[in-house]
Amino acid sequence: MISFSHVSKSYRAVLGVGRVVPALVDFSLELREGEVFGLAGPNGAGKSTLISLLLGFLGPTEGEVAIDGLEPRRYVETRGVGYLSELVNIPAAWRVTAALHRYALLSGVPSAELGTRVQAAIAQLGLEEHKSKRVRQLSKGNLQRLGLAQALLSDARVIVLDEPTHGLDPVWTQRFRDIVTLLRRPDRTILIASHNLDELARLADRVGIIDRGRLQRIVDVRATERDVVEGAAYRIVVTRGEERVVEHFPSARALGRGEFELTGISLDVINLGVGALIAEGALVNALYPVHSALEQQFREAVGAKEEPS
Amino acid sequence: MTAPVASSRADRRGRVGAYGLWQFRDYLLDRGAPTFIVSSLFAYLTVAPMLPGLKRNMDTLPPKLIARWGGVDAARAVLMHDFNELFLRSFLGVVVFLGALFAMNGIVANDRKQGFYRFLFSKPISPSRYYGQAFVIHWAGFLVVAVVMTLIYGALVFPILSVPLVQALALMFLLYAGIAFLLSAAARWDWLSLVSVTVAASYLWSRYGASTSPFAKLLYLLPPLDRTSEIYSAVAKGDAIPWNLLQWYAGYGLVAYLLGLVVLRYRRLAIV
Repeated sequence: MISFSHVSKSYRAVLGVGRVVPALVDFSLELREGEVFGLAGPNGAGKSTLISLLLGFLGPTEGEVAIDGLEPRRYVETRGVGYLSELVNIPAAWRVTAALHRYALLSGVPSAELGTRVQAAIAQLGLEEHKSKRVRQLSKGNLQRLGLAQALLSDARVIVLDEPTHGLDPVWTQRFRDIVTLLRRPDRTILIASHNLDELARLADRVGIIDRGRLQRIVDVRATERDVVEGAAYRIVVTRGEERVVEHFPSARALGRGEFELTGISLDVINLGVGALIAEGALVNALYPVHSALEQQFREAVGAKEEPS
Repeated sequence: MTAPVASSRADRRGRVGAYGLWQFRDYLLDRGAPTFIVSSLFAYLTVAPMLPGLKRNMDTLPPKLIARWGGVDAARAVLMHDFNELFLRSFLGVVVFLGALFAMNGIVANDRKQGFYRFLFSKPISPSRYYGQAFVIHWAGFLVVAVVMTLIYGALVFPILSVPLVQALALMFLLYAGIAFLLSAAARWDWLSLVSVTVAASYLWSRYGASTSPFAKLLYLLPPLDRTSEIYSAVAKGDAIPWNLLQWYAGYGLVAYLLGLVVLRYRRLAIV
């Protein structure tokens, strides 16, 4: 559905004088129909440039970008893309309902459906009490929801969401996940760029990790969750018999309130130790990896210099 | 949680034509109103100091003048005509230039600078179609504002609305607006660039317009803005409009507008 083939993008100073800054280097990637693809990377990794190339807002210095076999701008101008940018830029004087009417018209929504579609978007994103407000009166979270609403007005087969939960409260972050689940369709491709690895791990089928303009690796999220990462750090929470933890795990670091961190111990050893603890009457409340599988992959790909959120 | 809002009808082009009503509304509120206010203020400041003198002359018409024009009413009409001519000559140039400046200032560049293009052009529409239409609507909006102003002037002072006046306003607007549109599509500082181009064209044509040097041919890259008063004077006097000159101006503006559309077709939106 979407392909980046050996794409490079460099920024030059005005009139071509000065330093050339490479934003993307020999970037190749295929996004399939029906998948939710996550894009993760530290600040300045090239995510925004990649999205601008995908929407045809920028042209590649080398290589090719195509959506459904078409040059991006041609695809967007004929079919449209559901797009939420990282910064939600909507004229401050527009009112919420009017803004959605405008975007719906430009999305090609027919007159007969216009009112219903706009009202549905307002209801879905919980903007009823703000619908008469001007954009300048909205809080960051509400503005983000308005941005998301305009992206979902059309029936686009390609949806691009750049930091979609930025500024959303926990309730709306959760609802956003539900919305993405509902948006999944066999003929639709959804690209989500986010710093939030936990969010990507929940929503995406695959996650591309990008750093310094290069695609470092693609993580198959579902498969990775089943992988055993030897030597990964785990936390164990014991509510009864915590004094026995150190007997079975001499290197365990006590974190207080019955919680211990286990580092550099194989899963086999951890399982044996937990079995022994339970047999001796300890009550093990939880055992979980300190970093999710995706976080592990991110740390390996990007290095520990960038702490994911 | 409700179902996704979109229906299953895909591959639909954006309804830019229908969006024209929003563009017209935006013009009237954001650009037309300032054009009206500033132009009216200019008109008032121009007319107000002249009115007492005009009234004095009307009240104390010299017998020679009455005799010359065959009566008091005819003599007053001549005086009023002279007054309007004086006013229109100075007013037309200002209203056209200010109107074009307000109508086209940042028409493309602002959306780029402020990032509004991102949501607009993720929709199934092309920038050249969207802004090309905005240009035409702003042009029509300017004519509406200009006609309203002339009607008000006509009601308060003296009727001046005429077909040649509207033609001159429309085509002179096309000149300045076309240049401003091209500059806005291609660069950031469009209003400053328009002022610079206007001043440069006016100065260079008046300074080197008569030169026989081969380099003087380069002047034809700019419109001969040193001669705009010929148009405004003709309209003010009620004489025949110098159509060749007006067509030159309008053609230049039209070419600049079309070049602007070409720029929009090929220039990437994220480049500010």
